[in-house]
Amino acid sequence: MGETLIHALAGVDLSIEQGEYCAIMGASGSGKSTMMNLIGCLDRPTTGAYYLDDENVAELTNTALARIRNRKLGVVFQQFHLLPQLTALENVMLPMVYANVPPTERLKRATSALVRVGLENRLQNKPTQLSGGQQQRVAIARSIVNEPLLLLADEPTGALDSHTTQEILGIFTELNRIGMTVVMVTHEADVARTTKRVIWFKDGQVLNPNLAPQDLHQLVN
Amino acid sequence: MHLLENVKMAVKTLAANKLRSTLTVLGIVIGNASVIAMIGIGQGAQTFTQESIESLGANLLYVYRDWQGSEAVTGDPPQLLLSDAEALAAQAQAVKLVSPIISSSLTVNYQSQTTRATVQGVTPSFLPVRNMRVRTGRFWDEMAQRQYATVVVLGDELSQKLFNRAPPIGQEIQIGDRSFQVIGVLQRKGGALGVNPDVNAFIPITTMANQLVGRSVPGGVSIDEIEFSAKDRASIRAAAFQVTNILTRLHGKKDFLVVANKSVQDLLGQITGALSILLAAIAAISLLVGGIGIMNIMLVSVTERTEEIGLRKAIGAPEQSILQQFLIEAVILSVAGGIIGISIGMGSTVLVGMFTPLKPTVPLSAIVLATGVSGGIGLIFGVVPARQAAKLDPIVALRRS
Repeated sequence: MGETLIHALAGVDLSIEQGEYCAIMGASGSGKSTMMNLIGCLDRPTTGAYYLDDENVAELTNTALARIRNRKLGVVFQQFHLLPQLTALENVMLPMVYANVPPTERLKRATSALVRVGLENRLQNKPTQLSGGQQQRVAIARSIVNEPLLLLADEPTGALDSHTTQEILGIFTELNRIGMTVVMVTHEADVARTTKRVIWFKDGQVLNPNLAPQDLHQLVN
Repeated sequence: MHLLENVKMAVKTLAANKLRSTLTVLGIVIGNASVIAMIGIGQGAQTFTQESIESLGANLLYVYRDWQGSEAVTGDPPQLLLSDAEALAAQAQAVKLVSPIISSSLTVNYQSQTTRATVQGVTPSFLPVRNMRVRTGRFWDEMAQRQYATVVVLGDELSQKLFNRAPPIGQEIQIGDRSFQVIGVLQRKGGALGVNPDVNAFIPITTMANQLVGRSVPGGVSIDEIEFSAKDRASIRAAAFQVTNILTRLHGKKDFLVVANKSVQDLLGQITGALSILLAAIAAISLLVGGIGIMNIMLVSVTERTEEIGLRKAIGAPEQSILQQFLIEAVILSVAGGIIGISIGMGSTVLVGMFTPLKPTVPLSAIVLATGVSGGIGLIFGVVPARQAAKLDPIVALRRS
């Protein structure tokens, strides 16, 4: 009674290939967050299908979804979401705990992931002892440590200053260069310009599935 | 995710919130400490009463005059006679020894020391019936008894009171207005059921009835009680039955009570047993309260840790792993509380053992049970918060933080 059914997304037909580096953009309420949750396997579509690595995620159980989030996906959030009681190294090891990686292997992989994001001198620091940029680097290390198929970043630079933003975006670019598929949700045109493809959402639909980053100013204005 | 990994993580989380963890387990600590202390002290009290009654003589029975019985109200006052005791000794097959007793509170005097003591006129059967021994000197014999000897055997405490450290044997003391020669001191026994032979003086029953208190009645010599021992443990009932029959026949009515020491022991054992169960049950209620305390704090913890739960789920923690994590935290809290509580409970029983005559013992089964119950409480009261954590929607959880 009095409730209206709202379609956060409707009629979306989208495909992202392996090795792509793309940005999902759109105004607030455009459905980009819902899209992000679907791609990240945190949510399932009411109707329709989402194939990740040739598997229809919409049909999977909660446990199977958890397994996919753990093995095939890496997520980076605006607010980092590191566990405050754990060190940088322990935070990065966390996804491997759920993947049943043996402890010695965990240490090796977590260390090398932190080295890749340039934090080799901050292994034993707790999140509160790290700057925002460093915390986001830890979060990125955590997202790639299980070697996912897809790295998903939700406003990853939203809480950072412009200088740090450039550093973090550099890491994404570098990860993509060596073959990682990266999908970034952002509302900042400057951030989106570092990607190779922009998917523009409006009112729960894809307005433009394949916008070149350099043409972004046309839409923004 | 392995169980051990979750245990390590739980320990780490709990250690990070030391104050909160300590306060959370307090209820369980207090519950366990009081259950264990109550069981230990209850057991100690039970053993103590059992042993002190047993020390009076395992096969001991008493005959009392029944002042409350209907016969007493209507007819003559109830009366026990010295000849009753002799009849029992001669006729009751299941009875081993009969010890008639006259008691009176009299002044006892030695040189400058004067005190009031219970003086009991008894026969030589008194010692074996009561399971007692002479420490120094000797007890009088049948011969002396027939000759109205003016000899006295003292309880240990009374002897010390009168003579301090001087040797009492051979000394003359005054009981009432008569002079008695001390011929023995009894071994210290300790009191039970309000009877403490250590503070009494014992003289031949004949002398007592004849020279100290007027106990002559038409039928013979009136006495206060008869104690007797059954041949063995198995014949206690038979002895009581025979004594009842013989005395009823002699008196023409049942104006007396026959009580077996063992039934007093059994009764007191039941009472102390029931009391300690009652106390432990009351203490167990605090365990329940402690469990609710854990549930309460765990629910708060789930609310506070939505970000952690959401993040764990987002990086691939399955529901049952989150469930396990919070359940383990609850179980660790309650088991740790249980162990601390049991230690405190055991410690307090040791203290009770040091400062009271009780010897509290905590049976192993009680410890095992208390630990099990604590773990179970953690499991039961941990389920609700853990399920709440496991069912949390990661999108909502991450957005809320």
